[in-house]
Amino acid sequence: MSSASQVERAVLEEEFNWLLREEVHSVLKQLQDVLKEASRRFAMPSPGLESQLKQENFILGSEGVLTLQGEALTQADINLKMAKSSQVLHFQFRDDKHWKLQQIQDARNHVNQALHLLNCRDDSYHFKTGAEVNKLMDAVMLQLTRARNRLTTPASLTLPSSPPSADAGDVMVNFYINLSKLCLTVYQLHVLPPNTTKNFKPAGSSVLHNPGAMFELNNNRFEVSHVHKVECVLPWLSDTLVFFTISLQPASSSKTR
Amino acid sequence: MSGNNLVLPIVLWGRTAPTHCISSLLVLDDCSAVITGCHDGQICLWDMTPELQVPPRAMLFGHTSSITCLAKANACTDKQYIVSASENGEMCLWDVNDGRCIEFSKLACAHTDIQFYQFTIGTQREGRLLCNGHYPEVLVLDASSLEVLYSLVSKISPDWISAMSIIRSHRTQEDTVVAVSVTGILKVWIITAEVSRMQDLDPVFEEESKPIQCQNCQSISFCHFTQNSLLVVCSKYWRVFDAGDYSLLCSVPSEADQGWTGGDFISADKVIVWTEDGCSYIYKLPPSCLSASEHFRSDVGKTREGAVPPLIYKIADQPDKKLLICPPVTRFFFSRREPFHKLLIQGDSEGRLSMWNVPDSTPAPQHSTPELPVSCTLSLQESFDGLMPVSSGIIDQLSAQPGKEQPIKVTASVYIPAQGRLVCGREDGSIILVPATQTAIVQLLQGEHMLRRGWPPHRTLRGHRNKVTCVLYPYQVSPRYDQRALVSGGVDFSVIVWDIFTGEMKHIFCVHGGEITQLLVPPENCSTRVQHCVCSVASDHSVGLLSLKERKCIMLASRHLFPIQVIKWRPADDYLVVGCSDGSVYVWQMDTGTRSHTRPYLNLLCVLYYVLQGNLPKYSHNALVVQAMKTNVSDPDMHVLFFDVEAVIIQLLTEEAQRPNPTLVSPRACTRIFKQVKETMKETIKEHLLDDDEEEEEEQRRREEKSKSLSLLEYNLTMDTAKLFMSCLHAWGLNQQLDLICLERLGMLRPHCPISFGLISRGGHMSLMLPTFKESLLRKLSVATGRKLTLSDIVGKGTYGLSRAVTTQHLLSVISLANTLMGMTNATFVGEHMKKAPTRPPRPGGTPESPRRGSSAPQSSPPPQAHIKQGWSQLAAMHCVMLPDLLGLDKYRPPLLEMLARRWQDRCLEVREAAQALLLAELRRIGVSGRKDTIDLWAPYLPQYVDTVSSRESRPMKIMKFNQSQTLDLTQKKRTNRVASSLRSSLPS
Repeated sequence: MSSASQVERAVLEEEFNWLLREEVHSVLKQLQDVLKEASRRFAMPSPGLESQLKQENFILGSEGVLTLQGEALTQADINLKMAKSSQVLHFQFRDDKHWKLQQIQDARNHVNQALHLLNCRDDSYHFKTGAEVNKLMDAVMLQLTRARNRLTTPASLTLPSSPPSADAGDVMVNFYINLSKLCLTVYQLHVLPPNTTKNFKPAGSSVLHNPGAMFELNNNRFEVSHVHKVECVLPWLSDTLVFFTISLQPASSSKTR
Repeated sequence: MSGNNLVLPIVLWGRTAPTHCISSLLVLDDCSAVITGCHDGQICLWDMTPELQVPPRAMLFGHTSSITCLAKANACTDKQYIVSASENGEMCLWDVNDGRCIEFSKLACAHTDIQFYQFTIGTQREGRLLCNGHYPEVLVLDASSLEVLYSLVSKISPDWISAMSIIRSHRTQEDTVVAVSVTGILKVWIITAEVSRMQDLDPVFEEESKPIQCQNCQSISFCHFTQNSLLVVCSKYWRVFDAGDYSLLCSVPSEADQGWTGGDFISADKVIVWTEDGCSYIYKLPPSCLSASEHFRSDVGKTREGAVPPLIYKIADQPDKKLLICPPVTRFFFSRREPFHKLLIQGDSEGRLSMWNVPDSTPAPQHSTPELPVSCTLSLQESFDGLMPVSSGIIDQLSAQPGKEQPIKVTASVYIPAQGRLVCGREDGSIILVPATQTAIVQLLQGEHMLRRGWPPHRTLRGHRNKVTCVLYPYQVSPRYDQRALVSGGVDFSVIVWDIFTGEMKHIFCVHGGEITQLLVPPENCSTRVQHCVCSVASDHSVGLLSLKERKCIMLASRHLFPIQVIKWRPADDYLVVGCSDGSVYVWQMDTGTRSHTRPYLNLLCVLYYVLQGNLPKYSHNALVVQAMKTNVSDPDMHVLFFDVEAVIIQLLTEEAQRPNPTLVSPRACTRIFKQVKETMKETIKEHLLDDDEEEEEEQRRREEKSKSLSLLEYNLTMDTAKLFMSCLHAWGLNQQLDLICLERLGMLRPHCPISFGLISRGGHMSLMLPTFKESLLRKLSVATGRKLTLSDIVGKGTYGLSRAVTTQHLLSVISLANTLMGMTNATFVGEHMKKAPTRPPRPGGTPESPRRGSSAPQSSPPPQAHIKQGWSQLAAMHCVMLPDLLGLDKYRPPLLEMLARRWQDRCLEVREAAQALLLAELRRIGVSGRKDTIDLWAPYLPQYVDTVSSRESRPMKIMKFNQSQTLDLTQKKRTNRVASSLRSSLPS
């Protein structure tokens, strides 16, 4: 082997060590800052102080107001015009009942896990191999992708398993997050006679069911007659999603290096 | 998938152990095995000896993502079941003894921890799995069906559960589940008898909810010695709580920048806590934490932060250890039965297990904390290195490097069943074409081929400048491609098209700016232009459509921001859909190469990923399929030979039927045979279909012969496959006379050393024996027989002492094949008919690789028909009835009755007959008492009215026959209804 290539090799090795020593940490720091910012948006409740969490009000189209506290919807004041009748349906949560948005909690936990991974490898930690950095980045990216997927892909629900509504017997309600939007779907139901001659086909799982979807609950058969869907944007969630995208990029580019 | 087919895998691992970056770890209660799960989704079974040696035995395949947790799944000792869960929500129940998958399921949520617990329901104890993970509940699953029974839910601030422990209170006879949520709230659920009986999905709410300020909780463990305290380990401190009212007894911060990752009690007054860098510390608890002490609870309400109790031992990681790429997994294991081990076990990213025997004694106070010496440490690679003879790879004999010990690694391969050829791309950039059965025979069996150099005949294609990353034979996927074209991609950014018959390099595509990672074939209904393309994916995040016909790249889609994970097609719209690792999706117009849409966050992606990651082999109806597998992208290929017994039998019978009667050969037939010997079977068929092409083909062939003699096709593929397979299965060394007959009359060959078989079970899950299995088998058999055995003692017959499921599969195969061969004319593996071509003199100017045969091989005339048939019948008889007596019961695992019963009506007549003969032989062997036990075992799964029949002792055989016609499985109680109805119909009226 010629000496030139040996010199070249030494230089490359030196550069790689620099990358491990300095560059990786600066990327990690940057990533950590972005994630901290993202995590802050989730307003982590400190134990015992849940009630002190900031309340946020969101206006759902023209139909009403929702109050979000942390990851739970605590209050609702919604008026929906029912189809084919001038009747207006009014929704409210009972004081002791909250609607927990599991998607937000899951996303928050995934971000925190990613942050925890990064916190364990702060400036004082010396990376020894590139594989080690790759593995860490894989783990962080996995958590971030998961967090984002939780927000971007609302869990699909079969109709019977969707949470039953407050009191009105023929109405079902579902709240979920889609991207940065908080969505509310209200299904107006129509009870099918027990021995109906109509073909009964139970609907599968879907985020949004169309009128005509049928299902069985407690030995009663129902058909969805009308669907109302209203949504509003949660600004901080769209921020977070942007943060996720921002943070995935240096993570992946540092991996390829 | 494999379905009902009788498919037997044989593995050639090669010298490099598979990557096994351990992510979870489990020790069986009786200290008989350690089980590790890895980040790539495989599970490794390590046998544990009383001397604390851990030879790895088998590797289980089936999960498609990282294993997150492992737990035992039954309480009885005769069967050992474990459950594994992976990051994408898959769960799998395995039998540890034979690596069979008993049950599997997939949930939307990922578990991070599973604990097995037996709840008392009335007088019965029912096995349950308690799972926690990325969801706010604790799910309670049935341990045998993996069905969710009910869930434990939090009313107050529900959140993910980080750790959980189950306590049985002797006072109240209640089972208590204690868990800590992500936000640091302690939750307590009480499982009463009513709760455990519940079958519907009613939630169970917590009994108590108490904030204990434990952020980042890593583990929670209950002191089994005093039943009075709880240890909660968080990353920055560990704390001891009173198990009665959960008041804080002591709190110890972590040192410097280390984070704790877990801990446990090792005795009433000592705890062991470990860090993420693999060090462990044993502390003596202060008196305020000890219920036996008068100072117990003296500090409640005024615990001082920062007071560090005395450190007794320190267990540091070994300084000579290789660098780790991720934190190791540590567990403390305390066996409650003989031999009462207290073990600290650690598994790391190098696939290494380390064990420390934790002493009960406390050393005299010293100046510095003493370190515990490691009791045993072994990595997968070390165990491979220690093998004699070394574990062979598929083409090791062709890959020897002068001056180096390691052969050139195979990095990509494809098997072409129609030609029986294996194409292996290697790390030095060369590609080897070799007949698969021939090369497997060299690796596995002893014979005259050992004397030949450069055997088997092969061809080397040189063109890539560095590692070959993928090879593709498009004709195999779709007949619209030229059957000569072989495509390969390498790390040198190039894609090369070869002529597989002449070995010529046809074209080099250099369109990508990164290493080629995948080569794919577009689906049938694409536009004609695209149909003649292959699709290449490169690590510079680009996708190309390379036309083999036009020899140019018709589309290059680049500018993807993230690595490409998956390619999907929508031919109707002329769309190519690219899925990237960040979840974004790009849609390209194929013919114009314009990007039509970019749709990040598409729901369907989750589905796509799942499709992509299924790396389990697909089976086709070929007698032999060679599948290259790797556990990690950076690993060299290992090869699994899948033998489909049914297909072997069909091929043998087809050839028998087609065999021309020598007296009736017409001149026309002569020429046909002459052609046949030169071309593959596939080609011959094509020739018959397209008679017009004959001249062209002839010319082509002449050209071919001029360029290079390949002589790859001169062997009878079917007979070769049967030879390889029978030689591997025969229980050598039990009957000298029969062995001699096998060798000389039947032409079988004795294996070099015990062969690593595998077992395919439900849903394509597979267990493959590691080459080191023989060490543990040897040790086990030596103990059983009381004398020292050597490796050659267990060649062949050893596999029948492995596990009952393996024995069943092997006996079925060997008997059905022997019966088939018995019915054939000239069914021996020696003699002229094994070669398809007349021996030609060696061509002048041939490459050194070209074979030199004929001179050394003595051409013995085949023995007479009757002798051959007699040989096969002796072979079948020995495996069917004589094996238990010859081997001795201590070295024999009898076949499983229910597996045989399932084949009672197998669609393949030979397999069916073998199953029936074996089942009857086994029923005879186990005697009256054995049959009675079997009936007792199965009785609970049969409907009530059958019991009256089964109690008639005079007719036990009849009952067994009823079972045989049905697929009965202990875990599938649901099926009993079907059995009942068929029983009703088959009952004597």
